[in-house]
Amino acid sequence: MKEYFLIILGGLLINNFVLVKFYGICPFLGVSKKTDTALGMGMAVTFVMALASVFAYVIYEYLLVPFELTYLKTIAFILVIASLVQIVEMVIKRFSPTLYQALGVYLPLITTNCAVLGVAMLNTEAIKIGAAEVTVNLFGAFLNGAFSGLGFTLAIVLLAGVREKLARADVPKAFQGFPITLMAAAIMAMAFSAFSSLAF
Amino acid sequence: MLAIQISGILIPAAILLAVAALFALVIVVLSRKLSVEENEREKEVLSHLAGANCGACGYPGCSGFAKALCEGKAQLSDCSATPKEGKQEIGKILGVAADGEDTVAVVRCNGGSHCQSKYEYQGYGDCRTAELLAGGRKACPVGCIGLGTCTDVCPNYAIDVGEEGFAVVDREKCTSCGLCIRNCPKKLIDRIPRSARVYIACSNDCRGKDVKELCSSGCLGCTLCSKVCESGAITMKNNLPVFDYSKCTGCLKCVEKCPVHCIKEVKE
Repeated sequence: MKEYFLIILGGLLINNFVLVKFYGICPFLGVSKKTDTALGMGMAVTFVMALASVFAYVIYEYLLVPFELTYLKTIAFILVIASLVQIVEMVIKRFSPTLYQALGVYLPLITTNCAVLGVAMLNTEAIKIGAAEVTVNLFGAFLNGAFSGLGFTLAIVLLAGVREKLARADVPKAFQGFPITLMAAAIMAMAFSAFSSLAF
Repeated sequence: MLAIQISGILIPAAILLAVAALFALVIVVLSRKLSVEENEREKEVLSHLAGANCGACGYPGCSGFAKALCEGKAQLSDCSATPKEGKQEIGKILGVAADGEDTVAVVRCNGGSHCQSKYEYQGYGDCRTAELLAGGRKACPVGCIGLGTCTDVCPNYAIDVGEEGFAVVDREKCTSCGLCIRNCPKKLIDRIPRSARVYIACSNDCRGKDVKELCSSGCLGCTLCSKVCESGAITMKNNLPVFDYSKCTGCLKCVEKCPVHCIKEVKE
């Protein structure tokens, strides 16, 4: 039980994908102008990350490890994720046109989001969470994917909130746009790095 | 030895290929089973849109905009990225007039010499450099600086700073290319339909008392124009009138009634 708790906490805060591990910076900066689109993107990434970690774990554990082909994991995971996003897109388009409309172009873009590949890769090794180390099983992989995705959502929604306020602030010309956004992100990252001192 | 090496390459390759083939099969089967009938019209409209997926129209991507267009929820003019030819094609598909409404630029300020100065500006420079010095020489934060950046950038010599000290557009020459709109540091230049008869030539949205202290021809937000308008084409927003040109009959009552004469009649 304690392991699962650690994975949840690690994904959300301690090993926050964006602010501590610096994965998925592209959508983090690109889709964080408004909180509602940021939330949409976050939920889409969460969904794909949870699914991808399960599928990648199955492929890794039951195909690559028995054949001693673990060095193929990068290319295999890329294959899995790209196909998965295609399938997810088709399924969503068929069964929930509203969700498909809301996600729009973000869904195919997730294929190239390194956070998704990152979580699949991390699941193959022991995960460091604060002082503890956890090796994941299938359920752990799912939890890690889902809660890392939620951690991504948390970070992107927080930044979107900051950027909405910044749009109305009197920012010096040299700092307008991305410079001030990156500075805000850096301060958030410093705040999040404090979670790494949590000990269990 | 050679056999071992070859099998060491072939087995991983075969496994990877098998996984890829499996996924490909699943995708093919699913795409057959789950294929959604797409609206042919939407597809065709989408093919003529810019495809920038910029989201400026307020819909999720160009496909969302194409859907809204076909359902009549969106206007073609909501998209600024699609070139004119594309819009005409879409107009043909949808059977509506292709956004055709010709536009012309107008300057949303008639302050000039009526507007007080913050300081005397002497020497070289245009509006963009003057803007860097405490926001220009005019006391009004959204007043035309009158140093002619728009004149400099206009390829058609269609805009000039008149004797009264604010820029004026020559409708005959203006092609609505938008260069002045992009270069005006005060963002005072705007497009209106070419058929429009009147426009508001002030951008100051402060309260009437504050405007009056700065400029004798600034909009006071008195709402007289919206009250005198019989067709209900004028609504007040942030102390400024907003014109709905589809309702405007061109009676010019608002122009007569405006106490500071900041609603201008467009002279043909």
